[in-house]
Amino acid sequence: MMTKKEILLKLGISEINKGVTTGTEWFDTEGSTTPSLSPIDGDLIAEVKNGTLDDYEMIVKKAREAFKVWRMTPAPVRAEVVRHIGLALREYKEPLGALVTLEMGKIYQEGLGEVQEMIDICDFAVGQARTMNGVNLQSERNKHRLTEQYQPLGIVGIVTSFNFPVAVWAWNSALAITAGDVVIWKPSSKTPLTALATMNIIRDVLKKHNVPEGVFNMIVAKSSVMGDNFLKDKRIALVSLTGSTTVGKRAGQLVGKRLGKTILELGGNNAVIVTPNADMQLAVSSTVFGTVGTAGQRCTSTRRIIIHEDVYDEFLEKFVHAYESVKTKIGNPLDEKTLVGPLIDHFSVDLFKNAVEQVEAEGGKVLFGGQVLDGPEFASGNYVVPAIAEAENHYKIVQEETFAPIVYLIKYKGDVENAIEINNDVPQGLSSAIFTRDLLEAETFLSGMGSDCGIANVNAGTSGAEIGGAFGGEKDTGGGRESGSDAWKSYMRRQTSTINYSHDLPLAQGIEFKF
Amino acid sequence: MEINRDITIEELIEKYPFSVQYLSKKGIRCIVCGEPIWGTLEEACEEKDFTPEQIEEVLVELNELYKQNKNKKDDDKKRNIIKTRNL
Repeated sequence: MMTKKEILLKLGISEINKGVTTGTEWFDTEGSTTPSLSPIDGDLIAEVKNGTLDDYEMIVKKAREAFKVWRMTPAPVRAEVVRHIGLALREYKEPLGALVTLEMGKIYQEGLGEVQEMIDICDFAVGQARTMNGVNLQSERNKHRLTEQYQPLGIVGIVTSFNFPVAVWAWNSALAITAGDVVIWKPSSKTPLTALATMNIIRDVLKKHNVPEGVFNMIVAKSSVMGDNFLKDKRIALVSLTGSTTVGKRAGQLVGKRLGKTILELGGNNAVIVTPNADMQLAVSSTVFGTVGTAGQRCTSTRRIIIHEDVYDEFLEKFVHAYESVKTKIGNPLDEKTLVGPLIDHFSVDLFKNAVEQVEAEGGKVLFGGQVLDGPEFASGNYVVPAIAEAENHYKIVQEETFAPIVYLIKYKGDVENAIEINNDVPQGLSSAIFTRDLLEAETFLSGMGSDCGIANVNAGTSGAEIGGAFGGEKDTGGGRESGSDAWKSYMRRQTSTINYSHDLPLAQGIEFKF
Repeated sequence: MEINRDITIEELIEKYPFSVQYLSKKGIRCIVCGEPIWGTLEEACEEKDFTPEQIEEVLVELNELYKQNKNKKDDDKKRNIIKTRNL
């Protein structure tokens, strides 16, 4: 494992860094600085100079100019840049993965996994470049052709969150850039260094391929500089925002008011259903990763486990046993033996403590964990013992998303339909899973009367999605789709064309119009 | 007033972290999914249907908390200076 100094050196991070770039050029700014503190030990890693309103204006102007060139560059040529970005990321996978761990706190294996997601989506986008197809339709008129095609949109604003500080940018930008758009990235102010490092990694690729300045933009800025003004800005064709439902609703309203486009990937309240027909060991192993992976700070983390009363005790015993093992592996996420790293900051720790208190206040029972760890190795105060609590689905705290490792166990009786009703009875609709070997139960879960979430898995947990599928959810999760499948369509505008290759002018619907 | 209604929640959290717990007790979650919510303090209060009087009350109480925190910090500072001199 590299040292902190080696990681920063390899990725071109200094003590104080510029926070605004149009691709290869970096700009000194007049703004304040954002300190990046490691949740591991609370120490300062480095600082970043924030962009100002003037910087934002400059970036948007550059992006608009660049779009004029980029939209007319053939998609496979655009994708060639993305392919080389994927290659560069392969080269820097270890240091970037380590920086993700250092700045965000997820374990090193997950840091590497995050960079792998970036690589995977680059590969995916390269293939997609040649298949972003429209359709030809049958015209009702003689010697006419009816066709649909997809065109680049313009500037895509990408707002990312601390928990996937670089992968979400890659999901969006690999598709957007291939689609002929240009991007402006606003990274989380909690993880600006990983964003800087990513831009440093791609700089040589952009230079080598003569990508115009303004195609790949990034600006580290406060919400007073890139907040409502950004959402209201008509020049931003699409805002792709990953974050809380609260911020997403604001974005939806403000962008919607100007009839702009959004991709909203917001909060989840993801449940696993364990039926009497489940492979119990598989259910336990898979669910533990869902609940404690990334210290419960994934949008897709498992928040609720809905267990049939007949197998409740068996599941609980195995689940608690697994947590006892996990408890011995809480610590520095750069240590390869660690399974659970720190929460992002002390505010998150407070929210975790509040959730533990509140579930008991509402009548629930904490069965395991819930403590904040102290001692020299936990000096940042951000380490907690993941909690298991018995609860009822209607509790206020259960209906909310607590971004921390607390999971609520809920019993159900009777048929799987009853469990599905509980699964769906929350405001959010991101991810869900069922553990069963019974075909009828599985298919009911996946049917129209089944899970109402954007993701519904069978014998696989709620988190850890592959990039090949479309990612996103319904209800308070925002309805947006990123990543694989046909998510590329969200980054393009649809155009229907009629081509008349006759010398006549037949009107549709047989209308006669003679003069 | 040190803390006014137009301050963004992001700035409020950064400069006056004690506000998070205070506002949480008032039903306003400043941090969701680990990130600060967007908008101003006034907008966050309005979102929760606070009346203008209630918003005023929030401002007064937050500023009072600020003073208490500042005084406590000043006292701690003085104690540290005395401690250092005595060494």
